[in-house]
Amino acid sequence: MSPLLAAVITVGILIGIYGVVAIALNFQYGEAGLINFGVVAYFAIGAYTFAILTAGPPSETALDQYRWGFNLHPFLAALVAGLVGVIFSMISGWPALRLRGEYLALTTFAFAEVLQSSLVNVRAVTNGTSGFAGVVQPFRDAVGNYNLLILVAALALLLFTMWFFQRLVRSPYGRTLRAIKGDEVGVTASGKSPEKYRREAFFLSAFFIALAGVVFVIWLTLARPTSFGAEITFFVWIAMILGGEGNNWRVLAAISGLIIFDELIGALPLESVEAVQRVNAGQIFLTGLLFVLVLRWRTPRAGAI
Amino acid sequence: MSAFVQLAALGIAQGAFLLMASLGFSLTRRVEGFLNIAHAQYLSVAAFVTYFLNNIAQIHFAIAAFAGVVAAVIVGFVVGKLVYEPIRHLGPAVSLITSVGVVYMLDGMIEIIVGTGSFLVTLPRVAPVRVGPVTITLYQVLVVVIAVVVTLATVRILNHTKIGTAIRITALDRYLGASRGVDVKKAGNASWLLSSAIAGVAGVALAVLGALTTHKGFDQILIILAVALLAGLGSVAALSISAMTIGVAREVSLLWLPAGFRDIIAFGIVILVLIFLPYGISGRVE
Repeated sequence: MSPLLAAVITVGILIGIYGVVAIALNFQYGEAGLINFGVVAYFAIGAYTFAILTAGPPSETALDQYRWGFNLHPFLAALVAGLVGVIFSMISGWPALRLRGEYLALTTFAFAEVLQSSLVNVRAVTNGTSGFAGVVQPFRDAVGNYNLLILVAALALLLFTMWFFQRLVRSPYGRTLRAIKGDEVGVTASGKSPEKYRREAFFLSAFFIALAGVVFVIWLTLARPTSFGAEITFFVWIAMILGGEGNNWRVLAAISGLIIFDELIGALPLESVEAVQRVNAGQIFLTGLLFVLVLRWRTPRAGAI
Repeated sequence: MSAFVQLAALGIAQGAFLLMASLGFSLTRRVEGFLNIAHAQYLSVAAFVTYFLNNIAQIHFAIAAFAGVVAAVIVGFVVGKLVYEPIRHLGPAVSLITSVGVVYMLDGMIEIIVGTGSFLVTLPRVAPVRVGPVTITLYQVLVVVIAVVVTLATVRILNHTKIGTAIRITALDRYLGASRGVDVKKAGNASWLLSSAIAGVAGVALAVLGALTTHKGFDQILIILAVALLAGLGSVAALSISAMTIGVAREVSLLWLPAGFRDIIAFGIVILVLIFLPYGISGRVE
């Protein structure tokens, strides 16, 4: 396979995975007005749950530190991973969803930071810094080019997510969420609980984000704490802000643009480690600048808290 | 028991640092009405400028530290005027999200200049002091003293000067203040200068207390948020209690938990506060 085709497939897979996360986040923020600064936590929960559930028992020779591997069927494991994502969102969202917007931003951010540090420290479950390598790839032997299969899976998940949230937004349920954003008191007066709706929107999105994490880990066959830093959260946030919250197609275009840009930078022929590091730092700076500029000159939709 | 006292003493030094780190953050939160996630990066700016002048340019530490504070003030003020003030009318959520962009800009800039790795400010060696069961370095004592001075000075400025009164009025109600003839613009400027100056001093303390990495700012913000949340929208006294509680709790936790779990302490406090004390120690509602 030509390197160009391989690169195109990689970009496609990344767009599929991060697209799902971005659209789920777009639902949380764009429709329900929830600021989730810990997106990566739900992503990591999905990935790690899948890795742990499908892992075999720990082996002495490989110096495994984890105690439990479940050898579960991959499809069952993926479903459970999504549900564990929802349970985690209940635990992390429940204390903060009662309060004002910025408190949710704060708790989700804190939860994500601590989850990452737990992935390193709770070795009996997560296998510490080495994490899980050689994660099960379903149908590995059935196809020649496995990445192609991942691409199909990632894009299928993306399409399903798109369809699901587009439908949901246009349903009476979505209208209620929008009404809450516009006039919370009015909605309360008509007998609906804004708090309940916000909670549900938050939990529902977590399911999709966790599933994206599952695809991510099957693709990489690797679950390590370092893969789940705050960069992922803010990468998706930037795409969402860039595209304009509430508009799934534009958010998808924005995340595609960012991923292609990222891959192009990564493909630059750099000589030294130092140059790579400087370019990375420059990229971090540019990302921040873009973020600030977009927020400054793009008036958000009315009602965005 | 002696291990406990030792860790508690270290916790007090940490708490003193945390108090300075969260004081400016809280001031911005009150006056500008949003959580400035990039506040910890002002600390980084001061710390790295101090490192550079002290270690690379071989300038006396006191001058290097002063330059560090000045750098933090410049960065904090410019960012406040250029980035935050034009978007204030869009509400606190947009400002909060924007501040994440500022984090990336400042971190990227620092990393372009200094690169990755660990940096230690070289200071004249001083022998640790033993007081009863506690061994402590002179620099840790210095941080506590400076924290007390900075905090008292801040209280004095806010409570007993004309501009301090203007800042407090602006924090309470910007529009009412403006209509009653308070120069809210000037008060806003003063508050940016004051909060970033305190951040600068805290940054120097950060450089004195341990090694610096480019990730240091990011690591601090979580703890700063925990301190601010525990304190609530209260007085400087509430903030002091909160900073000391978290500083000591984090260090003392080492008796029972591996060091990697220290952040979970700060985080656990965030959760408990949200459940039982949603408005912090002060209990004041906006």
